[in-house]
Amino acid sequence: MNQTIIEFNNFKWHYSNNRKFRLDIQELKIRKGSFVGIIGPTGAGKTTFCYSIMGVVPHLQNGKMEGSVRIEEIETKNSSLNVLSQKVGLVVQNPLSQMSGAGLNVEEEIAFGLENHGYSRQEMIKKVKKIIELIGLKEYARRSPFELSGGQQQKVAIASILVLEPEILVLDEPTGYLDPLSTDMIFTLVKELKKQGKTIIFVSHKFEYLNELCDEIILINKGKIIKKGAPTEIFSDISLLSKNNLGAMDVTNLFARLKKAGKWKKRFAVSVEESEKELRSEFPWMR
Amino acid sequence: MDEIIKIEKLTFVYQSANVKALDNVSFSVRKGEVVGIIGQNGSGKTTLVKHINGLLKPTRGNVFVNGVNTKSKEIDELSKTVGYVFQNPDDQIFSNSIIDEVSFGPKNLGFGKRRIKELVEEALKTTGLEYVKKNHPYDLPYNKRKLIAIASILSMNTEVVIFDEPTTGQDYLNRRIVIKIIEELKKKGKTILVISHDMDFIAETCNRAIVLKEGKILLDDTTDKIFMKKQILKSTRLKPPQITRLAQRFKRIYDGTLSVEGFFNQMYK
Repeated sequence: MNQTIIEFNNFKWHYSNNRKFRLDIQELKIRKGSFVGIIGPTGAGKTTFCYSIMGVVPHLQNGKMEGSVRIEEIETKNSSLNVLSQKVGLVVQNPLSQMSGAGLNVEEEIAFGLENHGYSRQEMIKKVKKIIELIGLKEYARRSPFELSGGQQQKVAIASILVLEPEILVLDEPTGYLDPLSTDMIFTLVKELKKQGKTIIFVSHKFEYLNELCDEIILINKGKIIKKGAPTEIFSDISLLSKNNLGAMDVTNLFARLKKAGKWKKRFAVSVEESEKELRSEFPWMR
Repeated sequence: MDEIIKIEKLTFVYQSANVKALDNVSFSVRKGEVVGIIGQNGSGKTTLVKHINGLLKPTRGNVFVNGVNTKSKEIDELSKTVGYVFQNPDDQIFSNSIIDEVSFGPKNLGFGKRRIKELVEEALKTTGLEYVKKNHPYDLPYNKRKLIAIASILSMNTEVVIFDEPTTGQDYLNRRIVIKIIEELKKKGKTILVISHDMDFIAETCNRAIVLKEGKILLDDTTDKIFMKKQILKSTRLKPPQITRLAQRFKRIYDGTLSVEGFFNQMYK
């Protein structure tokens, strides 16, 4: 599968109330079915990038856009959010901000998006049931979403997006407010969705998870794509990360420390497993 | 006796929901300690620290701050000793400018004008907010508002400072700022309690950690010892920091290693 699903061409955007910031993406293609991690410091343009895929930029924001973003054959600026929302689903950091509040319980909250797309009641019940099973919300189906933990609320938010069966799922720091248990839950869930062939764009500061799951990492800063590459390539490049106000993972920092002491010449490792292997093979006395 | 906080058989039941959030919890904190409070959501962490600043009173048991039972004190009185930085800054911030927000605490505590100015300036400097002090708090993004919330507690110069999830939603740079703030408070001999899900952050800042599960204390030990109890941690789904997990794969390296430098030193000692 080498089909392009998202394509940016000479894309430029600035908000009318913020002259200092501009998102500027000359050319970017994202393959169908790929899992792409987006990293960058606060204010780099990560959220605006997500908005441009979703069509929130330009449709719901004031500003000026040049160039184009295509989702398969659809050009976002010529399309409507209603059409786009069936192609792309967006999950944001704060699950409460995307609750419609219209649903009295989790089931109804998840069904809310479907109602707006004119499905029959029978179809709706079937779809909602399926998604509740998939995401593991069965025991909460009749509870108010507002009574749930942050992790469960985020699952409801993801469920209410997934029920529309978008091909692309954009997640903008969805685990930012969650505890480790819920964070694990969300990453396990998106891993499953990837297996089902969804294209996933995942913004996160959690490099260890991204390294494990992503096919590709895009580093964004000051509104531009600074670098795009394999996770090992990006996460082992401590100077690239630090130039962009990002911190490397500690196992990687260990190899940098070894290099500083003249003990290491190869690429820095980026995971616990890789580090163990490298240390054992290079230093036989490390037991 | 340099115990600044003493908690005796504390049980707390949320009457409205009839939920026992804390179940017979006992521990004490000595002056100058930096203690991490960890555990999943709903394990009772926030309920616990709200007893230390008097926002909640025990259903059973006692909480002493500086030897005085919190049952006998009003919150105003306790707020001279205990500063509490909320998890969500928007639950805390109410002023129209950052400087007003940060000045409110010390004014309320009745410090003199000159002292207030000193305290406010220092808090703004520590948090890197001095250049935006005239701004409305909501001119700044969420992660900076978290620093405003911290500054408005720092300016009260309390003996005890409690941080509730100070690094959530923070990027690398802001996280470094929060770590620096804690280092500085430590140097001043303040007693610090930190609720956090960020195990790297706990490893870097806390000498001691308390693990809560379903309202009970599961572990209470030095941070290195806590992260060595892999099996118990697993039951609460907490993962030791990455460098600690790597250390645990080698016999030569101490299982409670918490830093890159510590790991390196053991390779070449």
